[in-house]
Amino acid sequence: MKKQTINFELNGELVEVHTEPSGSLLHLLRGQLGLLGTKEGCGEGECGACTVLLDSQPVNACLIPAAKIEGKQVQTIESLSNGDTIHPLQESFVEKGAVQCGFCTPGMVMSAYALLKVNQDPTPVEVKEAISGNLCRCSGYKQIEEAVLDAAEKIDQGSRED
Amino acid sequence: MWGKKQEQNRSERNISGCGSYQSPEVWAKVTGKAVYGIDLEFPGMLYGKILRSPHPHARIKGIDLSAARAIPGVRAVLSAQDVHCNPYGIVVDDEMPLAVDRVRYIGDEVAVVAAVDQKTAERAMAAIKVEYEPLPAVFNPVGALDEQAPQLHEDFPGNVAWERDLIRGDPDTAFREADLVVEDSFSMPSVHPAYLEPIACVAVSEYGNGVTLHTALQSPDLVRDIISRALNLSSSLVRVIGPVMGGGFGGRVFGNLKLYILSSLLSMHTGFPVKMQLTREEEFTVGRPMIAAEINLKMALRRDGTILARESEIITDNGAYSAQAPWVSKTFSERNDSVYRIPNIKTRARLAYTNKVPTAQYRAYGNQSANFACESLMDQAAKRLNMDPLELRLKNCTQAGDTTVHGLEIKSCALTKCLQRAASEIGWDQRKSGRGYGISSGIHANGSLVANKNFRGASARVTLELDGRVNVFTGEQDYGQGAHAAFACIAGRVLGLEPDQITVYSRDSLVTPFSQGALAMRQTTIGGRAVQVAAQELQKAIIQKASEISGEPVSLENGLLKNASGRLIELTEVATGYHHQTSGLNLVGEGKYVPPASDYDETSYGNISVAYSFAAHAAEVEIDKKTGAITVHRIVAVHDSGHIVNLLTSRGQVYGGVTQGLGMGCYEGYLFEGGRVANSSLADYRIPTALDVPAIDQVFIETEDPEGPFGSKGLGEIVMVPVLGAIGNAVADAAGVPVTALPLTAEKVYQAMSGGECSK
Repeated sequence: MKKQTINFELNGELVEVHTEPSGSLLHLLRGQLGLLGTKEGCGEGECGACTVLLDSQPVNACLIPAAKIEGKQVQTIESLSNGDTIHPLQESFVEKGAVQCGFCTPGMVMSAYALLKVNQDPTPVEVKEAISGNLCRCSGYKQIEEAVLDAAEKIDQGSRED
Repeated sequence: MWGKKQEQNRSERNISGCGSYQSPEVWAKVTGKAVYGIDLEFPGMLYGKILRSPHPHARIKGIDLSAARAIPGVRAVLSAQDVHCNPYGIVVDDEMPLAVDRVRYIGDEVAVVAAVDQKTAERAMAAIKVEYEPLPAVFNPVGALDEQAPQLHEDFPGNVAWERDLIRGDPDTAFREADLVVEDSFSMPSVHPAYLEPIACVAVSEYGNGVTLHTALQSPDLVRDIISRALNLSSSLVRVIGPVMGGGFGGRVFGNLKLYILSSLLSMHTGFPVKMQLTREEEFTVGRPMIAAEINLKMALRRDGTILARESEIITDNGAYSAQAPWVSKTFSERNDSVYRIPNIKTRARLAYTNKVPTAQYRAYGNQSANFACESLMDQAAKRLNMDPLELRLKNCTQAGDTTVHGLEIKSCALTKCLQRAASEIGWDQRKSGRGYGISSGIHANGSLVANKNFRGASARVTLELDGRVNVFTGEQDYGQGAHAAFACIAGRVLGLEPDQITVYSRDSLVTPFSQGALAMRQTTIGGRAVQVAAQELQKAIIQKASEISGEPVSLENGLLKNASGRLIELTEVATGYHHQTSGLNLVGEGKYVPPASDYDETSYGNISVAYSFAAHAAEVEIDKKTGAITVHRIVAVHDSGHIVNLLTSRGQVYGGVTQGLGMGCYEGYLFEGGRVANSSLADYRIPTALDVPAIDQVFIETEDPEGPFGSKGLGEIVMVPVLGAIGNAVADAAGVPVTALPLTAEKVYQAMSGGECSK
């Protein structure tokens, strides 16, 4: 298929790529753009390991054709930390033991991040629902749920202190 | 909350500062920087693809590779004729890297391609022409044992891959003299570990006839040996380096040997790195799921509930090639016999070749699926004796000091307490009407010797670095279960250092000590003990060196070196002094842990492991009587894994293992249509999501085991054992009738309930 130029915002920066429009956003991120933090567990939209935010909505990057991101905002796990700072969600994931093999973790963090963007005080059921599209085989989800609730509390406290 | 707090304190008392320590790799994982097998890239890397058999059983009449070889960008196309390899296997050598003249299941590897990119490799595959002559196939393991059945392997007449006839004691007399005999048949389908990262590897051929394989394995050294045998390479010329592992659960002890061998062959043929990776569909169709099993089980009891004997007739389904299926079948057939004091045993087990996906193992090695059957029969016996199922278990359960019917020497055991605590936590005495309750017991060995009785233990190397930090080199693998954090805690406790002053390294077979790896729940108990001994050796070396430097006796306490006059000596001073004196050496402690002499006879009678972990789980469920659908409300998991080294990661093991047990109990299982896997995606092979997991309460009853480091025992596999029996029994309690086939789908529960009503 003929390649096409696509412009979009990736982790806060404007980028221009020349790519096959029917190729998946996941392969664009991992292959062409070298962002390997977004994982591929099935390529069929079943496992959630490739969850990224598309205009603030959590999506399976493996199911999004590259053509669909023209003019949109894409946010990946790489945007949540740099050498100096780390997102409270990531801190809570570590503190609560929510990371075992870690393969689901980037997608799981992005789903939780999307939740906390629109709901700063989620109930345990809302957390479960928000991560229900992200499979984790290691954890039984309990410590992940604890981590998301813990992060919500931290963010809430942080905003009150500000 | 109160209970949680108490446990936390207890654990912190055990090993100071280790209550929730995690290895630094966790930060790489949570920020998306951890490099897994699927992320690997090398300069000049080619992509490998496998052409697989579309037939369950067929003769290969001809293969034409010429069109594929002519495609630009294709660097190698190989069939069996192009490679010179030895037959290989894990227990028996029944596999070849590429099918020689026959294919034996849908997915069998026929030819392999390396090309400059995935698409070219796929085009080349499509251009390969293979002519097949279909042969009659057999899919049912019972049918496969029939004399008339198509034969799969000439070396295994009658399609018997492995068999075992075992008698301990005098079961026939016990059954004759019993007051009660209960009997039932159970079946369990094949299940997949379903680790989230599909297996991927990159093979890099080296000048001088070697190969470096980059792939994440639980037992890289064992895999290295198999690869070198299959490829006719000297074993030290095969090097295995592990990226981060996206889940294992037993499925990556040996991983996918075919993929490793084929990528190595392609790299040796082309001279370039070759990456190969399974799709999720391939994980299900050509991965190595755990054996399916059919078991007819009989138990003889006295009127007072004393168990006199157990008899089992077992047929397990091997699939087309035998990976670990014989060992798994063996554990399936006997481990549950040691949970209770059962003096007489009769077992007939056969493992049958069928034209289906080859099988291996999954966390707990078949112990968990057999638990479902054995514990159901316990409840059936209790019902017939009009006895409380808890009381029947308490009357018979194994105790510390016992030697079990198979010769296991139980040095520490809190099973009685585990059962009592599980019962009190679930509310056994205040069971609500309309709910079903079940309880179950489990045992699991720590580092079973059955695989190689001449290699029972582990070794480790601990070094003092010039900056005063300590490095631990071990062959034991961490894939998120917390082995490295545990080792840092153990070494730190010996040397008086904080765990974050210790770096643990395990992922390069050229550098790290040889190990059996992360299997048989041996990491903490056996690997950890080796780390403890090595750290003690380093401690001695440091003290000796420091004494030399200061010219008087020195003590090392809480990480501080002091001489007799009370002067502090820095670890860096000792390290540097030795480094200068020897022109570059570091102070090293090398340690081995060889478990006490133990042996087993030709019937496998003997103390096969250094320690045994115990657990009792209880479940509370509800059944929708209109549909048979189950809701699991709560699971209580009580564990005796000795002293808990790290409470945070231990809790993660229990949550995760119980959840996997829930999946296996309620939804998971292979479905086949004419030998083809019918549910080969995560949509059709459903594993638990966050919305499916019930409340899980956990308690650790800490015994002091004489063998494990600081009295600890293994946890990672037993977490999945009693949960199957507990859910099965809770469902039977709610349904009023046992449901004897896994998984416990609404359809099966409904049928069992209707059948029960009709028969009344």
